[in-house]
Amino acid sequence: MLSLYRPGHSLWHRLPAGPKTTLVTLIVLSVCLLPVTWTGAATAAAIAVACYLIPGMGLSELGRQLFAVRWLIAVTALGQFLFLGPERAVANTTRISAALVIGALIVLSTSATALLNALERGLKPLQWCGVDRQRVALLLVVTFTMVPVLARLAGEVRQAQQARGGRVSLRYFATPFLILALKHADSLGDALSARGVR
Amino acid sequence: MSASARVDTIQMDDVSVRFADTDVLRNVCCSLPARTTAVIGENGSGKSTFARLIGGLARADSGTVRVLGLDPARETAALRRRVAVVFSNPDAQIVMPTVAEDVAFSLRSEKLPRAEKTRRTQAALERFGLTALADRPTHDLSGGQKQLLALCGAFVREPDLVIADEPTAFLDARNARLIADRLLKNGSHRVLLVTHDLDLAQRCDQAVLISQGTITAVGAPGGIVKAYQELLVC
Ligand SMILES: Nc1ncnc2c1ncn2[C@@H]1O[C@H](COP(=O)(O)OP(=O)(O)OP(=O)(O)O)[C@@H](O)[C@H]1O
Ligand SMILES: [Mg+2]
Repeated sequence: MLSLYRPGHSLWHRLPAGPKTTLVTLIVLSVCLLPVTWTGAATAAAIAVACYLIPGMGLSELGRQLFAVRWLIAVTALGQFLFLGPERAVANTTRISAALVIGALIVLSTSATALLNALERGLKPLQWCGVDRQRVALLLVVTFTMVPVLARLAGEVRQAQQARGGRVSLRYFATPFLILALKHADSLGDALSARGVR
Repeated sequence: MSASARVDTIQMDDVSVRFADTDVLRNVCCSLPARTTAVIGENGSGKSTFARLIGGLARADSGTVRVLGLDPARETAALRRRVAVVFSNPDAQIVMPTVAEDVAFSLRSEKLPRAEKTRRTQAALERFGLTALADRPTHDLSGGQKQLLALCGAFVREPDLVIADEPTAFLDARNARLIADRLLKNGSHRVLLVTHDLDLAQRCDQAVLISQGTITAVGAPGGIVKAYQELLVC
């Protein structure tokens, strides 16, 4: 999920953000509803490959996406294998992985600006119950952008601890990281107001 | 001279800002007419609070503030359209995942035709030498490039006043020069620059010395820097 927008010319890239989101959601839903059998697993995998191959995203991108969620796949597979046996383990893991990588297509092939515009439009129906759609859309997009920054902050805190000879412990990690993250959010809020966001 | 040039950039009359029980700024009075103004002073003296007050990001507890003739507390929307703010940490100012999108983001809230927004974005990227980086992910940029982007995102709105709070603090000497040149470069915009770099302060038209929450001297940068250095010695 960390992998952000990659410029390109695939069919996914050319599809407008709104219809693309709907289509991807439908595919993900159908993958989730596949039967928990060997055939179901094979179908899920085939759909995922097709979603990358046919519109021209390429298999290497699929590989990168799978690599990004490798730990999630490993943990799911192991747990299910121990408790549910091989067929259900393989079927469930394949369906989950397929759903993740297909879902990633939206973020991969949609620029943040297009996503922001589509979200603002898509959230319009929620306006009647007082949802500030511009704010919600911005929040979602900014969250994506902040992931690499937060990852870097976390790395800095960990390194500072190691430099002082401390063992890395969650307790001594959480406090400085939280403070840094909150301070960052505070400055970001200032910067957003300064750039004309109400 | 245009009409706006007759208004002082910043005017304050008996302004105080309190956090909890302490006065961070107290009884500040000033009238700053120059195009470029440097603000210098020790750590914790209240420079950033002064800058935030002018940028409409902090409120005065008493006194009156006028920025380009506007009251930042009441005419915030009008102030935002004319005043841009740049901070030290570029990471906290970059919002979008790619360079061009981040610059364009500054124009989102402006009611301009889309073609005009694109034109202004491209012109700003060009002016700041960022055209080649337009599609690069923002988090891959170097610190200097990030700060250049932050500055570009401020200037694309064509502000009348740019407030910069230690914009060169995290940069090496070369990038610091580059950013300072871009910021102070002749133009119609005015600049309020908070800095610990005394050479940089000397490049402004006037300087303000803040000490323990109040303005203790205003004048030509040479004299103000000297006064500050004497203060630091004793
Ligand atoms: N949000 C806040 N809450 C409480 N106290 C604050 C807050 N912001 C600033 N202060 C206090 O106000 C004083 C002035 O802070 P300010 O950031 O304006 O100083 P500065 O001159 O910019 O310092 P520096 O050169 O270190 O950036 C400091 O004593 C600081 O602790
Ligand atoms: Mg400061």
